[in-house]
Amino acid sequence: MAGRRIVITSGKGGVGKTTTTANLGAALAKRGRKVVLVDTDIGLRNLDLVLGVEKRIVFDLVEVVEGRCQLRQALIRDKRFPSLHLLPAAQTRDKTSVSEAQMDALIGELAAEADFVLIDCPAGIEHGFRNAVAGAREGIVVTTPEVSAIRDADRVVGKLKERSLPHSLIVNRIRPEMVASGEMMSVDDVRDVLRTEVLGIIPDDEEVIDTTNRGEPLVLDPNQRLAPIYLKIARRLEGEKIPLTRLESQTFLTKLFTIWKAG
Amino acid sequence: MQAIEPTPEPAPLEQPAAPLGRAIVITSGKGGVGKTTTTANVGAALAALGKRVVLVDADVGLRNLDIVLGLENRVKFHVLDVIEKKAELDDALVRDKNLETLYLLAAAQTREKEDVETGAMIALVEALRARFEYVLIDCPAGIETGFRNAVAGASHAIVVCTPEVSAVRDADRVVGLLPNDWKPELVVNRLRPALVRKGKMLSVEDVDAILRLPLLGVIPDEPDIIIATNKGRPIALEEHSPVGAAYRQIAARLAGADVPAPTVKVAEPGFFAKVGAFFGGR
Repeated sequence: MAGRRIVITSGKGGVGKTTTTANLGAALAKRGRKVVLVDTDIGLRNLDLVLGVEKRIVFDLVEVVEGRCQLRQALIRDKRFPSLHLLPAAQTRDKTSVSEAQMDALIGELAAEADFVLIDCPAGIEHGFRNAVAGAREGIVVTTPEVSAIRDADRVVGKLKERSLPHSLIVNRIRPEMVASGEMMSVDDVRDVLRTEVLGIIPDDEEVIDTTNRGEPLVLDPNQRLAPIYLKIARRLEGEKIPLTRLESQTFLTKLFTIWKAG
Repeated sequence: MQAIEPTPEPAPLEQPAAPLGRAIVITSGKGGVGKTTTTANVGAALAALGKRVVLVDADVGLRNLDIVLGLENRVKFHVLDVIEKKAELDDALVRDKNLETLYLLAAAQTREKEDVETGAMIALVEALRARFEYVLIDCPAGIETGFRNAVAGASHAIVVCTPEVSAVRDADRVVGLLPNDWKPELVVNRLRPALVRKGKMLSVEDVDAILRLPLLGVIPDEPDIIIATNKGRPIALEEHSPVGAAYRQIAARLAGADVPAPTVKVAEPGFFAKVGAFFGGR
């Protein structure tokens, strides 16, 4: 049976798509699943850095699509998890080098051999977004509890609905103390606006900056506060019923959204 | 991708009524590093100095500058309405709530970036330069059509970068796509000196060693920026905020004041052995 083809997307940049892709992928691999991570941010690739494999790139996605190498030659196997692989993006090409049909065929080929193909989408809703989504059969929308990120996520949710792609939500970088003091939106606020099932809630943790700079997904380190959270998300993604960690509900910012949601 | 041609300078006028303003694009490559926040706050700080400023949201389809300024309910027309002559430029300009000389030209929310023609964008920025001293263009993330359109009308760039390897790599790529004769200036955003001291974040020196751009400003990471953004009031107007102060310094420097180069109190430079190496893997 072919593996699942999931795009990790957000609209807004910098909300944690690449970090989520790397850590969710590592968590699934840790559970023994065969996983391929695909960086579709042609020209601005970063998933290789987050995984710490940037020096091992020989071929990239565009070269595979253009038939200049075999798919298996371009796949980089993670040394820590043998069942985790990366297909890197090209860095010196642009997003129009690949068509939606080519991306769909490529992801299909990968899914035939893997349990999960996680597609790291570029920011925005241009050509790169359309390509990343064309290869997917379901989506995970990552957002942070900020007005601008949620507005962009709303736009992306609409685009996934247009394509009839089932999707769920990860709310990233929650600061519970700011939620409690009413300075940050709660997960309930975010869910009310986006009307999308929540797959996971990830607190803000400055360790992410460090582990990203060092190229070590934090799922690797059981002492990392976020490691069990990504593992829970991986289990939920595979259908296990694990209740979400409840955070206090604050709704005073919700009214800010009613105006543009209505429009 | 082809290099972007520099914007041709307009022919000098016989007796200009007012000097043409400066068109500056705020760009980064990576998203979420603070382009929109920087655009809003540098604009607000310039306007607080009495300058006539217009902020142009070039993120067609994913606009946010209106929210950061708290003007989302006052937007009637957008860039594409003006370009397609469905609205006059004057009717599309939204005046800020706090500052009389600050204006917003919003992006279209339900259109695509490919709907904007580069030539029309250049003409629009030219029209704005005739009316404003500063035209600040908020660039979308990425390096696709939206990026090219945002850069096309400008003659100067502010590159925003956070002290993270991925943001630095993307910023380096963007600098390479800007016209060769530009001298982009760098804003390092969201610096946490405590993390730099612990060796867990790149220092400004680390970032500078890679990008080699003149440093326009350094913005500390403080939670009050999230609150200000959610409330729609630029933090540059908050007298006692260190983030606001950093933005006011940037504005003063842009306006030509002799402000000393930004310094950040960090005991030792960061020590990421990777930093030099990760650019080798192109």
